[in-house]
Amino acid sequence: MMACTSAHHRRRCLSNVKSVTMPVTTKILFCIVTVLYIVIKSESLSVDNISSDVKFKNVDRTIDLTSQLVKITSKITLENSGKSPVKNFLLAVEASTKNNLAFVGAKDNSNKDLRIAETTVKGYDNVKFWRVELKETLNAGSTVSITTDTVFTKALQPYPTAITQQEDQLVKYTGNLYVYSPYYVTSQKTNVVINTKNVESFTKIKPFSQQDGTIQYGAYSNIAPFTEKELSVHYKNNSPFLTVTRIERLIEVSHWGNIAIEELIEVEHTGAKLKGPFSRYDYQQDHHSGPASVRSYKTFLPASASDVYYRDTNGNISTSNMKIKKDSVELDLRPRYPLFGGWRTHYTLGYNVPSYEYLYHSGNDYLLKMRVIDHIFDDMQVDELTTKIILPEGSTGIKLNVPYPVTRLADSLHYTYLDTKGRPVITFKKTNLVENHIQDFQLRYTFPRLLMLQEPLLVVGFLYALFLCVIIYVRLDFSIHKSEHHKE
Amino acid sequence: MTVEVQSKMKLPQLTSDKQLTFIKLSVLSMAAILSFATRLFSVLRFESVIHEFDPYFNYRTTRYLTEEGFYKFHNWFDDRAWYPLGRIIGGTIYPGLMVTSATLYNIMQFLNITIDIRNVCVFLAPFFSSLTTIVTYLLTKELKDEGAGLVAAAMIAIVPGYISRSVAGSYDNEGIAIFCMLLTYYFWIKAVNTGTILWATMTALAYFYMVSSWGGYVFLINLIPLHVLALMLLGRFSARVYVAYSTLYCVGTILSMQISFVGFQPVQSSEHMLALGTFGLCQLYAFTQYLRAHLSPANFELMFKALVSTLLATLGTAAVVLTLTGKISPWTGRFYSLLDPSYAKNHIPIIASVSEHQPTSWSSFYFDLQVLVFLFPAGLYFCFSKLTDANIFIILYGVLSIYFAGVMVRLMLVLAPVMCIVSGVAASSLLSLHVKDIEPKVEKHEKKKKHENNLVFRSEVGAVFVCVLGCLLMSYVFHCTWVTSEAYSSPSIVLSARAHDGARIIFDDFREAYTWLKMNTPENAKVMSWWDYGYQITAMANRTVIVDNNTWNNTHISRVGQAMASTEEKAYEIMQELDVDYVLVIFGGLVGYSSDDINKFLWMVRIGGSTERGAHIREADYYTGAGEFRVDAAGSQTLLNCLMYKMSYYKFGLVYTEGGRPPGFDRVRGAEIGNKDFNLDVLEEAYTTEHWLVRIYKVKPLPNRGV
Repeated sequence: MMACTSAHHRRRCLSNVKSVTMPVTTKILFCIVTVLYIVIKSESLSVDNISSDVKFKNVDRTIDLTSQLVKITSKITLENSGKSPVKNFLLAVEASTKNNLAFVGAKDNSNKDLRIAETTVKGYDNVKFWRVELKETLNAGSTVSITTDTVFTKALQPYPTAITQQEDQLVKYTGNLYVYSPYYVTSQKTNVVINTKNVESFTKIKPFSQQDGTIQYGAYSNIAPFTEKELSVHYKNNSPFLTVTRIERLIEVSHWGNIAIEELIEVEHTGAKLKGPFSRYDYQQDHHSGPASVRSYKTFLPASASDVYYRDTNGNISTSNMKIKKDSVELDLRPRYPLFGGWRTHYTLGYNVPSYEYLYHSGNDYLLKMRVIDHIFDDMQVDELTTKIILPEGSTGIKLNVPYPVTRLADSLHYTYLDTKGRPVITFKKTNLVENHIQDFQLRYTFPRLLMLQEPLLVVGFLYALFLCVIIYVRLDFSIHKSEHHKE
Repeated sequence: MTVEVQSKMKLPQLTSDKQLTFIKLSVLSMAAILSFATRLFSVLRFESVIHEFDPYFNYRTTRYLTEEGFYKFHNWFDDRAWYPLGRIIGGTIYPGLMVTSATLYNIMQFLNITIDIRNVCVFLAPFFSSLTTIVTYLLTKELKDEGAGLVAAAMIAIVPGYISRSVAGSYDNEGIAIFCMLLTYYFWIKAVNTGTILWATMTALAYFYMVSSWGGYVFLINLIPLHVLALMLLGRFSARVYVAYSTLYCVGTILSMQISFVGFQPVQSSEHMLALGTFGLCQLYAFTQYLRAHLSPANFELMFKALVSTLLATLGTAAVVLTLTGKISPWTGRFYSLLDPSYAKNHIPIIASVSEHQPTSWSSFYFDLQVLVFLFPAGLYFCFSKLTDANIFIILYGVLSIYFAGVMVRLMLVLAPVMCIVSGVAASSLLSLHVKDIEPKVEKHEKKKKHENNLVFRSEVGAVFVCVLGCLLMSYVFHCTWVTSEAYSSPSIVLSARAHDGARIIFDDFREAYTWLKMNTPENAKVMSWWDYGYQITAMANRTVIVDNNTWNNTHISRVGQAMASTEEKAYEIMQELDVDYVLVIFGGLVGYSSDDINKFLWMVRIGGSTERGAHIREADYYTGAGEFRVDAAGSQTLLNCLMYKMSYYKFGLVYTEGGRPPGFDRVRGAEIGNKDFNLDVLEEAYTTEHWLVRIYKVKPLPNRGV
């Protein structure tokens, strides 16, 4: 995992260098190096073969289109029709949607997460493959049931792309009618959940049925591997289409018992754009006005969060409520203005949590365990996340352990009150995140506990020096000659 | 308990001299802390936020200075304001304020004290108020004694006339300028008393700081020469004054000319001529005295007459020639309005339209100064009773600033410190006079027997007097705190009101609108609004404005006024000409916010009509036949159909604002609006804030041909 990350890093550096104009020979040399490198790189990703032994005996697929995300849950009954036992199998994602893919996960029937890793298959360069390691090897002739989750962002296209204030938002989903799989699928069913009866149009390939809020397809039997057939649903979806275009999450660790968290968040309504005027009168008179707009949303903070602030560059945003619940702090955040399609806002949300819940230590070794990203609103989609962790001054031997691949940026130093040589800052980045990415990272570091005394000593020393100067100044006479007053 | 016991045990060990120092120090530091603390009402009630209009410009420029450095700041051409003209910021501001806070900011950053620049700006004025308290003490100490200094310091710490301009968040030039002014005065008194070049140079440096921070330095550079002249007339002119003034004028003038906004004004404009003339006079006076010492009286008389007549003749012709050729800048409007309060109102509507340029009412003297108003004459009496060079200065300062404060509300700020100083002298003298009487001193009884026999109940009278004065001073403290908390601590960018059930409602519509503009309009959008909101739009919304609070171009503002006062079609032409994308108006009719654009509208009409191109806009057209300004059905048709009216009241005719009133009832004007059912042709509503305080319209593009 980490190797892959660093490889990404190196590649970026190389291409950066390449863009600088240079002599032809060097250019060629670099081309060769780059080509070589790409070859090496593609080989560094593992290559798998599609085993003809594996079959999907039955797939129950649910496509949840009720929010802005496309959440596909498939219950797969895996069958080993070959002779030899199988240890893993592959999941595939269509070439057309692989850029929208935010999350892939697999669970066995006891709801335990299975190990999953990206991989490639020769001959299918455009398709994205994931290898799922089974807990126990699947013997010949037996079956096992697996649940897979995939989440796609921005897969729902608003259509029409611009609506007036009063109109409902219609979106179009285009997907695959069949389960896209590298294996032969004996039988499959698909449920499309849309939670509305307002459907403009949808693909009608028999057998199908439409019941309130869901469209059922199937069962279809005996579908060959990699079969694609367009499934499109055009329906009303007024759920909040909010994208966090950028979030910078700052975690400042203090060994005096506090961890300060500050999130700089930029939000954009990425649904159908607002066409024509915004009428405050209609918006106030009629609560059904602006059905696609977002007035407020809820953010859940850790239960121990305190000193919460919600502000932007122009100051405090006075429209928010906080409820303290048993297992979380619920913030009802209302942006300064309602968000219509295409409107953007930004804000800073900060709070403190006690460090004993997240920071563990034995002797001088510390372990920080916190979320890479936290909840912003339900069904969130995040384009870009930067997480920065500021450790106490003097921390060394920093080791970062992340639950999924991220791009680690260069470490830097941060200076604040009573710092002398600066606090180490760990920064990493990740794009395209959803709620499933709310997972913990682990950061190990060493901090000599004696260094805790540095800051109080600094204050004491400063005050001592100050008073000493005053004492010296008062006791000594610096004038060149005695003034008249003293002579008297 | 233990602390008390300890202090009781320790105090007798200190000598009385040390005790006195200790008391003085603690009183002074308490006054300084109090002056900081009393200005924090708005921060505690709302948040650490910049207030009002001008401070937003100062804040924006300060941010620019800290981010880009001094040279970029100095050469800054701002294309966000006065579109399409732009504004050369570096050459048209007093940079002292920005440089001060940027320096403080940088020092703190260097020490790794990571304070936000906004917080530096918010707390700068209270910080400088603390310094002012200390300088007031020093200045009063020079004039009278330390006791008076302490009383004056305590008074200036809480005087509302000064607080009005220096609460936390009120990030304006005046916040530091009062400190600079008093510092200059202190050094000047020092220089006059000692006659050393050191103190005179210090005066010049303080004067330079003053010039760099506030246009009100003109008052200072006229007051000091006036003091010198007064000393000359009273026959008190001495070598000390000569050294002090000559040094101050030479060094101070050269330094002040380094500020690019001031430039050559100190030698050209009429406001500075008194200083120049006095400087010349000083030299002549000194020269005459030199001659007198070396010539016989008869020869001296002859020479004196000849010299004076030739000099007057040359100076007179030179002045006339220079004024005619324009070398000496003509008397500016603001200066005229100082001498003649009605001047601006009659001649320059844009000056008269600013509320702080209005003449001060009597009640506001009491409101801003309270007991000082009564102590001031007493203090003047004490100054006169023991006339010194320094006292003459303070008398001059007091009398002059009273006059100016009467002309312009804003100059109450200059009056407040001298009121405190003189009242401090009065209170201290009165108290020390009568406190002595309360305890009959047995040891000295024999010596003063003669006088004391005349007065009966001496100690009782003294006690009563001290009680009365104590009560007055107590009431002063309560009054000041009340005024500060009620009148001067509203950020005006966030409004708050009480609901019927007593809960606090916050109207945060301004920031709502500005943030909306910032986030949801194109980066290069041009926003037209009345000039009051220009600074806020550039600072908070980061969008280009047509006009702003730096009212340097009358015709440009007039053009905006014309657009607001015209019908939609005419306004559309003007808006196309000015390349306007969005129009912003402030409308208080829904919540009852009275300083909205409809109430300012007559000024737009007047200013709009004050230039040649706006000659068709006549104020009379906007009144009813009876000469009233009404927005209801009886109002003038010109008003009911102008752009400002339409933008303010668009769709308002449908809204029920108060129970038992028809829809479209304007709560500020207390009338049902006259023109309810209309559509906008060239504009469309882009955004209206929650309480309708700010309404933003988008200017539609020209229609396609053939549509």
